[in-house]
Amino acid sequence: MKRRSRRIDTDLAVIGTGIAGFAASLFACRRGLEVAQFGHSGAMAYTTGYLDLLGVQDGRVLDDPWDGLGALRRETPEHPLARLPDETIRTAFGLFTEALTEMGLGYTAPGERNLRALLPNGLVKSTLSVPQTMLPGCEALAQRARTLVLDFDGLQGFSARAFEANLAERWPGLSSARLTFPGMEDRQVFPEVMARALETRQTREALVDLIRPQLDGAEYVGLPAILGMQAPDRIRTEMEAALGATLFEIPTIPPAVPGIRLREGFERTMPERGVTLDPVLKVSRVRFGAAGATLTLHGAMEDIEVEARAVLLATGRFLSGGLRADRTQVSETLLGLPIRQTESRNDWYRKDYFDPAGHPVNRLGIEVDASFRPVDAAGDPVQDTLFSAGAILAHQDWVRQRCGAGLAIASAYAAVDSAAAHLTPEGQPPDRSVRSDR
Amino acid sequence: MGAHSRDRTVDFLAVAREILPPGANYDSCVGCGICASGCPASGLFGMDPRRFINMATLGMNEELATTPWVWACTQCKRCAYLCPMGIDVSQLVGVARGLWPEEEKPKGIVRSCAAQRMDESTSAMGVRSKDFVEIVEETAEELREADPRFADLKVPIDKKGAKFVLNQNSREPAVEPEEMGPLWKILDYVGADWTYASKGWAAENFCMFTGDTEAWREMVETRVSAINDLDCEVWINTECGHSFYTLWQGIERFGLEANFEADTLVTYYAQWIREGKLPVNSDWNVNNIKFTVQDPCQMVRKSLGDQAADDLRFVVKTLVGEENFIDMQPCRSANYCCGGGGGFLQAGMNDARRAYGKRKFDQIAATEATYVLTPCHNCHSQIEDIGEHYQGGYHVTHLWTLICLSLGILGPDERKYLGPELADLNLPDEA
Repeated sequence: MKRRSRRIDTDLAVIGTGIAGFAASLFACRRGLEVAQFGHSGAMAYTTGYLDLLGVQDGRVLDDPWDGLGALRRETPEHPLARLPDETIRTAFGLFTEALTEMGLGYTAPGERNLRALLPNGLVKSTLSVPQTMLPGCEALAQRARTLVLDFDGLQGFSARAFEANLAERWPGLSSARLTFPGMEDRQVFPEVMARALETRQTREALVDLIRPQLDGAEYVGLPAILGMQAPDRIRTEMEAALGATLFEIPTIPPAVPGIRLREGFERTMPERGVTLDPVLKVSRVRFGAAGATLTLHGAMEDIEVEARAVLLATGRFLSGGLRADRTQVSETLLGLPIRQTESRNDWYRKDYFDPAGHPVNRLGIEVDASFRPVDAAGDPVQDTLFSAGAILAHQDWVRQRCGAGLAIASAYAAVDSAAAHLTPEGQPPDRSVRSDR
Repeated sequence: MGAHSRDRTVDFLAVAREILPPGANYDSCVGCGICASGCPASGLFGMDPRRFINMATLGMNEELATTPWVWACTQCKRCAYLCPMGIDVSQLVGVARGLWPEEEKPKGIVRSCAAQRMDESTSAMGVRSKDFVEIVEETAEELREADPRFADLKVPIDKKGAKFVLNQNSREPAVEPEEMGPLWKILDYVGADWTYASKGWAAENFCMFTGDTEAWREMVETRVSAINDLDCEVWINTECGHSFYTLWQGIERFGLEANFEADTLVTYYAQWIREGKLPVNSDWNVNNIKFTVQDPCQMVRKSLGDQAADDLRFVVKTLVGEENFIDMQPCRSANYCCGGGGGFLQAGMNDARRAYGKRKFDQIAATEATYVLTPCHNCHSQIEDIGEHYQGGYHVTHLWTLICLSLGILGPDERKYLGPELADLNLPDEA
């Protein structure tokens, strides 16, 4: 049978559908570029929903991430975030949270200070921006307000009782209870399934009726993050009005609703912004030519060729498949980009798992120039039309530094800036004439 | 369903290594559970996709070979769609189904496959080729008589060299032949050069769902040979899901020669609307009745991807008005299976099937739509059933019904799936 084939012409091909990839597409659209984006499900569904800029520097938990960035610039100038001015980072972060809010996922605007936000096990972390559904949790904690935290029969990975126990000393007004989620008796329940069910009015009303008798004067009610999938702010407002108490969400362990919200939100809205998006289709090959690159992809029934004038690589690290580690080295999987290796594999890890200095393997990745173009051993760009952003970049340890979202968003902004400058020199509209020759 | 003898089993991990695409392997499961969280069959029979993979990794082959869950998994591939490692549980489920002795497999699926193998019609409802030809001719004659506008309507069978060859789900010729009318009228309206094939015309393939690969192959061979003989350019799958997937996937898997392209009717509805050949609009929807649409897994996620989902939305929005269309969430390639796929609808496991379908029901309820459009027969039946079971109060309709309604050519006896508000709307002018 004849396989179908399709050709897509675009200014910028974004490879990767994590935070960095979607941020890049968003920024590129703002600049008037045509964007085609491809990727795979990756790790986005694993996020708490909090957007960190910089939570830890040199083993210190940061109250002021901007101050922390200053220290980062002095101590690790090669860190991707350290290479960007505050102004760029602030703009990028602000545009990103605005876009999320437009998508129906309200987020707090990035401020001067980190927020103290709740974690599922009753711990607290420093982060820059939180979903509006989670913000009242920060307030309740700060005020030590009278708060009821709930969990559900059959829900794994979140215990209201454990949450209460871990916070009890500094939050005496905290209490906990367990409910049976309406219509989900005697079985394992997933946060995602409860969130989908709360999309219906019937389930919302039933849940409110179950919570009300438990209130006992509580001003705040904390739930695992389950308040719907598409419009959590609307659902929270509606349930609060019916309940007469302030509701907030607490992140749960993966697979968690806040990440699924982000992913589905981007999948829903990026095509509306004009992006050609296939969020679950991996690029199998990229060939660079004089006028850009040709990407090859194989769908279930069709082969796709993308002619792109520039490429932005945001394929993530090991989990997402951007990097691979074998017995001898770490490599980049799609283009075979050079990676500055450690002396030997023995140097990937330090002896102590919790060594405050972190493990060198986590800082391996793609080296880029000031324009966020991957470079070779001599420091020269591998291709003029190739840019890179996100966790695949070298010299950062985003998990330990609590800088994942900031790294993704700010580097995507900077990389798109450079790509746009390349594609539209001196503010001219993109020259798309070259494509007709191919 | 009783667990069968445990002698028939395989090393699932070894099988996985053979059938998985390059780069995917079950050892790479990080145990995150996004598959289980996103699967409506999770929890049925104490199983879910993550547990299935964990058990395969632990070598619990006997348990996997005997769990009835493999008949509750609709093989919709949503788990594979979500998995960061690309792990596809549905293929192992197919292997596990094949291990069950015939007499212990769900009888509805087995009987449907057996019926398909009895006649060159390949019909799961036992409609033989000669009966099909007769029913089509009689129904077409009635239609010509009933509506002077279609007095010259032709329903060609075995017309060599036509541009399109269409298949036909057995449900219509078997129990509701009047439902073929709207489809034929549309084809007549756009002036399509088309034909049915008298052999292999049936748009269903339960043999794949039995796990019997040889039977699946036999069905596909019969159909491909019948279509090849007609020398048509495009084989169009009508409003049905799995008949599309089983054919093109069968052609690839069994390495068959096919001289045609495979496409779906929805793609052509969209094309004909864009070309102005099908001048539908939403003027009839003066009361702003709300509609949502189901993305058949077999057509969208498993085959054509979001391109098909986009075409589907273009057609529906044109038909009902953009403001009257409310998408289910999640949708397109990420949409949930209705719970009628994979043979589940025919498996006689009604409680489990409806528990599965609750997720779909909630999605529909959240849209608050009055009508659900389903370009797939299994989706149609399942969504209708769960609507009644959970008291949804919505109607389930094929696209061809609405297209003809919009064009003012939908006859009074072609409205069985419409509610009272549309029963008399836009009836053809009495000539």
